[in-house]
Amino acid sequence: MAKPIDLLQGTLDMLILKAVSLGPLHGYGVLLRIQQISRDRLEIQQGSLYPALYRLEHQGWIASEWGESENKRKAKYYRLTAAGKRRFQTETDKWNRMADVIAGILSTTPEEV
Amino acid sequence: MALWSRVRSWLRATVGRSRMENEMDAELRFHVEAYAEDLIRRGVPRQEALRRARLEFGGIENAKEGCREARGVHFAETLLQDLRYGARTMLRSPGFTITAVLALALGIGANTAIFSVVNAVLLRPMPFDQPDRLLQVWHTPPQKSFPGMPTFAVSPANFLDWRNQNHSFDGMSAYGFGRYTLTGTGHPEAIRMVAATVGLFSILHAQPLLGRGFLDGEDEPGHEHVVVLSYGIWRSHFAGNPDVVGKNIQLNGQAFAVVGVMGPEFDFPIFSDQEARAQMWKPLAWTDQERAIRGDHNYAVIARLKAGVTLRQAQAELDAISNRLAQEYPNDNKGWGAIAIPLRDDLVGDVRPALLILLGAVALVLLIACANVANLMLARALSRRKEVAVRTALGATRRRLLQQALSETLLLAFAGGALGLVFAHFGLLVIVKFLAQRLPRSSEIALDGWVLAFTLGISLLTGFAAGLLPALRMAKADLNQALKQGLGRTAADSGGSRTRNVLVVSEVALSLMLLIGAGLLIRSLWVLHNVNPGFDPSRVVTMAVSLPTGKFVEPAQQISYFGRVLDRVRTLPGVQSAGLIDSLPLSDDGSHQPISIEGRPAAAMADLPEVEVRLISPGYLSSMHIPLLSGRDIDDSDAAGRPGAVLISESMAKFFWPNEDPIGKRLTLYFFPGLTREVVGVVADVKISAMNETQPAPTLYYPLAQMSAARGENWNSFGMNLTVRTNAAPLSAVPAITNSVREIDAEVPLLNIRTMDDSVSASLSPARFTMLLLGAFAGLALLLAVVGIYSVMSYSVSRRTNEIGIRVALGASRGNVLLLVVRQALLLALLGSVIGIVGALALSRLMASQLYGVQPTDPITFVTVAALLMIVSLAASYLPARRAMRVEPMAALRYE
Repeated sequence: MAKPIDLLQGTLDMLILKAVSLGPLHGYGVLLRIQQISRDRLEIQQGSLYPALYRLEHQGWIASEWGESENKRKAKYYRLTAAGKRRFQTETDKWNRMADVIAGILSTTPEEV
Repeated sequence: MALWSRVRSWLRATVGRSRMENEMDAELRFHVEAYAEDLIRRGVPRQEALRRARLEFGGIENAKEGCREARGVHFAETLLQDLRYGARTMLRSPGFTITAVLALALGIGANTAIFSVVNAVLLRPMPFDQPDRLLQVWHTPPQKSFPGMPTFAVSPANFLDWRNQNHSFDGMSAYGFGRYTLTGTGHPEAIRMVAATVGLFSILHAQPLLGRGFLDGEDEPGHEHVVVLSYGIWRSHFAGNPDVVGKNIQLNGQAFAVVGVMGPEFDFPIFSDQEARAQMWKPLAWTDQERAIRGDHNYAVIARLKAGVTLRQAQAELDAISNRLAQEYPNDNKGWGAIAIPLRDDLVGDVRPALLILLGAVALVLLIACANVANLMLARALSRRKEVAVRTALGATRRRLLQQALSETLLLAFAGGALGLVFAHFGLLVIVKFLAQRLPRSSEIALDGWVLAFTLGISLLTGFAAGLLPALRMAKADLNQALKQGLGRTAADSGGSRTRNVLVVSEVALSLMLLIGAGLLIRSLWVLHNVNPGFDPSRVVTMAVSLPTGKFVEPAQQISYFGRVLDRVRTLPGVQSAGLIDSLPLSDDGSHQPISIEGRPAAAMADLPEVEVRLISPGYLSSMHIPLLSGRDIDDSDAAGRPGAVLISESMAKFFWPNEDPIGKRLTLYFFPGLTREVVGVVADVKISAMNETQPAPTLYYPLAQMSAARGENWNSFGMNLTVRTNAAPLSAVPAITNSVREIDAEVPLLNIRTMDDSVSASLSPARFTMLLLGAFAGLALLLAVVGIYSVMSYSVSRRTNEIGIRVALGASRGNVLLLVVRQALLLALLGSVIGIVGALALSRLMASQLYGVQPTDPITFVTVAALLMIVSLAASYLPARRAMRVEPMAALRYE
């Protein structure tokens, strides 16, 4: 297994939005979901997850309510709001465009310049 | 939506603080425990699993702090902290705090007071429905006959043609103002009556409180004996009894049916003088003869623009109609146009320039106050550098420091704003008292919601304006340097003192501009005080004797009544002389008419020269001490049936007979044809409408006894003003005078009893009041500038104690030291003065309309004010300079 890579600055928000877009999750669930879909290739500081969740909720992109977890315990669940859905869409588009451009630049060979 | 969620989450985070903390705790604990359980499931021993879960989570407190930050808890908390800290610092240095708060309170208070006036007079919509569609329509007179007169009253026939031919207006109403004598409710009383054509109330969209307005057809002669009461007179004279509607009341001895009562807010026409408010309205019923009058202009006209029609389109149509009328009736209408003016502009046109000047002045005062507080803050920022440095070293961010510094000035500004409101409240009491008779809608002046919002707004702005510069400097302080230098007494902060010098120079410049403005007004008031009104106002009392219309119908009756009044009054003890005139000097309500001079070619009315025409009795000249320059005064021999005699003013003589003796020349009054009158005397020019008249108006006086037609119209009464010169205090003669007039006829009311000195003073009062206000603001500005100079010099001296000590040690004399300090102060004042003079040269032109007999660039004012400012600056630097002179070299060198 390759060594996990650190998260790029500013991408954690996007990953959280993606994670909760698949269904309501509690904080720990968000962490597990991201690790699962990234197949453990991303290193996420567990502690940094919560300020990000609080920030996203403050901005109205996700909403929270208390519910019951799989093992019958009280947990705070986050879900995507309508505004969050739109935000996620634009962030995704931006990311894809950016990735294309960067990939294009990095794959440039001397002959092409 | 997003904003709301933020506010909600912020509120939850701040107000519901403990709940959020609990939830956060639970959430993080759940995370750690859930992770630990997963680890246990994978076979890690329980103790180890819990340890690893906590370890991998990272700092729990750190995460919590991040969460709080994300919710904006910090902002609110630090703001509170800053405010508390700011309040504590302010209380620790009460001298600084009082100075700063007082400076800001004066600035904000002055702005609040003047804004309240501007808000009520210039900004608030007129108290009518869709007031911006209401227009006042006037004649524009031929400039040849009426040089400098922009608008003129309207004649009946022209009004009717405008009303019938236009397509721009939803209605036009002509109205006039007169007095009616109300009897049957106690003493006979003169009622202020407006007579208007029937459309008036519907044009204003005004609904009566009780009853109705006027009906169509009520402006036909014979149908006009109906009256609508104002709310005020309904309450005061009819006890607010609704049954009065439908009853008859006695006006000028005739029965009028009360058909309606207006609500308390209704006031039309709006006058500057609250005492002149209309008390009743009646239909204006012109006879067929009156409807045909084109050349006699006596009415005001109000109109409402049709929806979709612009002012410009309406004006174009009025121009076209006027042109047509001028061609059709060249004799009366040649050169006469029409102009539509929005109602508000028509009302406030005169006071707007003065108000705007005052508004500009208070804005300057506030700027100076801001500069002053910024200056004080800067000085404090420098002395607090060590504190700032320590805080920076302990991890305070720049933003945090800025926020703290700004919250301190904002606190000062809001304290200043609150105190300013108190100042404004008392200031307004004075302003309204002085201006009640001169300012339209002055009763509406109040510290209302708009004014409070304004005060809040400028307090905020002031806080930022005064605080930003010092805050930036404070936050910029270099950590290492500041810590090394301790309190920083060496000359290292030259940047700070440069900023402070710039602030002081601008304070001086701004206050110089204000002082020059005030100086110009003082000069012109002084000129006005020394203007000779053409008569001697001392010991003269005047009152209006208003004849009820029904009672004295024929000219002979009117003449004989006034003759009896004069005879009686002249015999009273203490009365030196007495006379009569139809409109008093300085009263602005006289009439003019064209004249034709015998031996000169006949011309159309529009081409005839107009002169002011006054009706007087023998004794008028001597009661007013108006000098007779040549010829003779009129006397009792100039009676009805005798050859016509007139007096003319000096300017009239010069205008019509520049190189001839006017005595013996003969002329005819246009509106009183049939009697040729001979000039028998020339008298001095008199200020006819105001003390600040720049050109004397050619004036003609003819004797009451030779009045050829009864004066006063069917809706208006006729009156003369009694002018009585007394031996002692003029008002002490009043009871005797009024008694004797009442003895002749108890139904004749006496109005407007006042001394001529009061009239002169009232004519000067707007100019005096503008001067006083501007003077007060300029004085305030000067005071603030002095404080500014003083504080900069004191600071500079204390900063240079070391240097001065060395200089003294090296042999500098006390004189040298004094010079050192004073020179610096003078340099600042000089620079400020030069900039201020340039600014004043650019701005004083805007004041031209308020000046009399003084140029806006009057060199005497400029030089005097600049010199005054220099002297004051010198005085302000004296105390710091004395402190510098006493510096002991050894003490100063040890000071570090």
